Amino acid sequence: MGAAMEPIVTVSGLWKIFGKKVDAARELASAGADRGQIQAETGCLVAVHDVTFDVRAGETFVVMGLSGSGKSTLVRCVSRLIEPTSGDIDVCGTVLADASDAALRELRRSKMAMVFQHFGLFPHRRVVDNVAYGLEVQGVGRDERHERAREVLTTVGLDGWGDHYPQQLSGGMQQRVGLARALAVEPEVLFFDEPFSALDPLIRRDMQDELVALQLELQRTIVFITHDFAEALRLADRIAIMRDGAFTQVGTPLEILTQPADDYVRAFTQDAPIAKVLPACSLMQPLGDVAIDDGWPRTTETATLESALPFLLSSDHPVVVCNAEGNPAGLLHPDDVAAVLEQNLR
Amino acid sequence: MRQTVEAGPPAGAGSAAARRRSPVAVVLATAAVALVIVGFAASVGAFPESWNFGLADPIDRTRRWLINNQTSHWLYTVLLNPVTDLADAGIRQLETILRWFPWYVYPVVCGLGLWRVRGRLAGALGFCGVVIIGMTDLWQQGFATLALMAVAVFGSLLAGIPLGIAAWRNDRVAGVLRPTLDAMQTMPGFVYLIPFVLLFGIGRVPALIATVIFALPPVVRLTDIGLRNVPNPMVEASEMFGATDRQTLRLVRIPAARPAILAGANQTTMLAMSMVVIAAFIGAGGLGQDVLRAMRDIDVGEASEAGIAIVIMAIILDRFTRGIATLGERGRGHGPGSHGDGSVSAADIAAIRWIGAVTALVALVGGIVGHHEFPEWLQWHYAPYVNDITAWARDNLYDIGSSGIGTGPLSDFITLYLVTPLRELLSGGIPWPAMIGLGVLGGLAARGVTLGIGIGIALFGIGWLGMWELSMDTLAQTLVAVAVTLVIAVPLGIQASHSDRFQRLMDPVLDFMQTIPSFVLLVPVITLFHVGRIPGIIASVVYALPAAVHYTDLGLRRVPAEVHEAATSFGATRSQRLRRVELPLAAPELMVAVNQVIMLVLAMVVIAGLVGGGGLGLETVNALRRSDAVGRGFEAGIAIVLLAGILDRLTRGVADRLRPPAAT
Repeated sequence: MGAAMEPIVTVSGLWKIFGKKVDAARELASAGADRGQIQAETGCLVAVHDVTFDVRAGETFVVMGLSGSGKSTLVRCVSRLIEPTSGDIDVCGTVLADASDAALRELRRSKMAMVFQHFGLFPHRRVVDNVAYGLEVQGVGRDERHERAREVLTTVGLDGWGDHYPQQLSGGMQQRVGLARALAVEPEVLFFDEPFSALDPLIRRDMQDELVALQLELQRTIVFITHDFAEALRLADRIAIMRDGAFTQVGTPLEILTQPADDYVRAFTQDAPIAKVLPACSLMQPLGDVAIDDGWPRTTETATLESALPFLLSSDHPVVVCNAEGNPAGLLHPDDVAAVLEQNLR
Repeated sequence: MRQTVEAGPPAGAGSAAARRRSPVAVVLATAAVALVIVGFAASVGAFPESWNFGLADPIDRTRRWLINNQTSHWLYTVLLNPVTDLADAGIRQLETILRWFPWYVYPVVCGLGLWRVRGRLAGALGFCGVVIIGMTDLWQQGFATLALMAVAVFGSLLAGIPLGIAAWRNDRVAGVLRPTLDAMQTMPGFVYLIPFVLLFGIGRVPALIATVIFALPPVVRLTDIGLRNVPNPMVEASEMFGATDRQTLRLVRIPAARPAILAGANQTTMLAMSMVVIAAFIGAGGLGQDVLRAMRDIDVGEASEAGIAIVIMAIILDRFTRGIATLGERGRGHGPGSHGDGSVSAADIAAIRWIGAVTALVALVGGIVGHHEFPEWLQWHYAPYVNDITAWARDNLYDIGSSGIGTGPLSDFITLYLVTPLRELLSGGIPWPAMIGLGVLGGLAARGVTLGIGIGIALFGIGWLGMWELSMDTLAQTLVAVAVTLVIAVPLGIQASHSDRFQRLMDPVLDFMQTIPSFVLLVPVITLFHVGRIPGIIASVVYALPAAVHYTDLGLRRVPAEVHEAATSFGATRSQRLRRVELPLAAPELMVAVNQVIMLVLAMVVIAGLVGGGGLGLETVNALRRSDAVGRGFEAGIAIVLLAGILDRLTRGVADRLRPPAAT
């Protein structure tokens, strides 16, 4: 999941305060008052508290937080579905705060798309018309948009379901339609607002795997919201842990697991079945100029740490992690794995 | 029963309040008793005639002026007459077009339409229904009614859907519109006719305008509600793809709200139907006029033929518009692979298409050749048989074997022991200041100061209009009818809520009863009860019964199964469970039932002025019959609106108060 370095989404100093006495609430919050206190004194809810981050091209940036942490509000501010109270947001070179309605529409039509928690599908439209909606809004002709929609449906494994209505499909299939609808407009940035949390656990797992595979192929920039720490570990290039509207830690899964910023983050890492969740690539070191011996054990990028454990235990050498083409992409060192697992047990 | 009647809504409110804040209730009750005693002591009686504000004269003067200036004044020549002429020409044109097609097209088209939306049986019944209308030689009148209906419904939808969109878009518009619609829906249809008669005289145009306005509320309301209930994720998704507001409205909101809008259109159609029939009073013509003429002549046979034609038309229109509303829903039913359309198979749809195409061709050819009239050889009147039955009923059911059992004695009983005493009590037995005081206290107990004052002013207004005694007459009839309705309906509703089989049995009957326009119900009732106050009361009971049963059933069924089980697990008997658990929990719904019943009964009691019901209804009927009585009718109309408003707010206030605190 090599990420180019230039940021596609830049957010700095973002606040979202619900209520009337915004300034008073902000002052209290900056002075370190907690939410309950602010609510009691000003009647305001600080949903997003001075959040700054950027997302690089092709990166999967996961915002993880429990319900009420402000993560859904955050993603809605960044896509300007709701108006932020203050702060700068820049998406694909457009400053959102200054954008006129027309400019914002143009940005949404060409650069962004979102997948929703409860799918947000249109029950009065067939699957193919749901997927083609973004193109229809842009004014693409019927035949062209249907052709494109059917292509994308094939990509998400719904070939032949185009003429059904969404509610005739299972939950997992419905969210594939939601995904296809977002992919159909070929956006640069994809927002996922807890897309899999309404699905049952087995389906959720499948969808996560497919998203990982799809992302390896498509290399989109993704902002992904979830309340599921395991899901965050499984998908993320970087994770932001959100609590009471603010980011408590931002880092790679490895950093989060090995150097949790505080007890709150540590609590998550201790519950996570990390060996089952973390892919081998998340802990791998760059090849550098190490000469790889053919006798060294090999595994794939998407394989979990757990599946690599037998090799690590039975060999004195690092495990070679290979990419989809079978070429070595990095090395997995027993020390790193041991450090992570040890952290997890503490 | 008398107890129930007198207690009515205010006392119910008092007892509800007593549970929560007993000191206030005690004060209120004491004040009420004091008022009555003081009033009796001073023997004040009914509202003084001399205080009459005298609204009738200026209204009558206005009316005369309007008649005299109808051809000369700019108000008419520039503004009103062009509208009138256009509307009249529209109806006439539509009628001409409808009459041009050959007669046999209509049963086939109706049959096919119902077959398409509801299945074969409905189609066959629709076909037969239309043939029956033709058989009884009501073809022309049917077209007159249909043309007026179609134009009115078109007008209502044309105005109502944009109004609904405006209400959804702008909260301030909604803030004005919603209370207005509420008020409109408490007003009996009959009352709508008066102002338009004043302005336009009698004829089809005032009927059309009154119908358009009367039928407006459901489609406005349901368009608004439908648009508001579009799930937010759908709207966010649309916005997220860069859709403009108009695109979101056109591509997402309106299609998603379609079922609600169509349900509104169905209700609007049914209201228009009932109004068009009543509008026969002001010369709208059509089937209603035949019923009206036959009822004046007390020719029950004739009235039945026209009445049944109206019922057939109403049922066909209802089932068809309802079918359309649910068609889309079923089209995208649940479960993978289901393309089914409920009861209608793909083969049937193909057949319908074929027959439809052939019919269209035949319609054109037949129209040119000229099979316009329903043929005489197919005509068959059943009026004589109905008259025979009526005569038999009069002779035999009025007083069965002189035993004191029958419709006559029943009628006498209701008159002597219920209506008359109650009327006398309300219209003077209780002194008028005490009545107003009781009203105010009722309002205070039910909702609060605003309602109390509002009721006081409204009651005073009724007296001021010189409508005190007539209003109390109408109120007495209404209360008796409501009590009788509840006594019959509540046990039926309880039974229906306990037994699915009973409910399945009742449902089609109630459904059928609800489709019958109010006016037509008077026909069978006068067969059995002659004229006077009683047929109006009986018809009101029949009219309001379905709603009462339905709401009782609904209220009891909403009681959660867990609560049932909990009650049973503590060893409650069935009747204990009903009294201690189910009825108290369903109380708010039951109060809604009472509210609905009162509104329906009031509407019917007013119409019953036509068959000698007396009270405010009679004044209204007179206003519509004789142009010199418009002023009095106008006053009566306002009194009806005030009375309806008082009863509506009182019962709704009580219903809200009965809701458990957790729910509010």
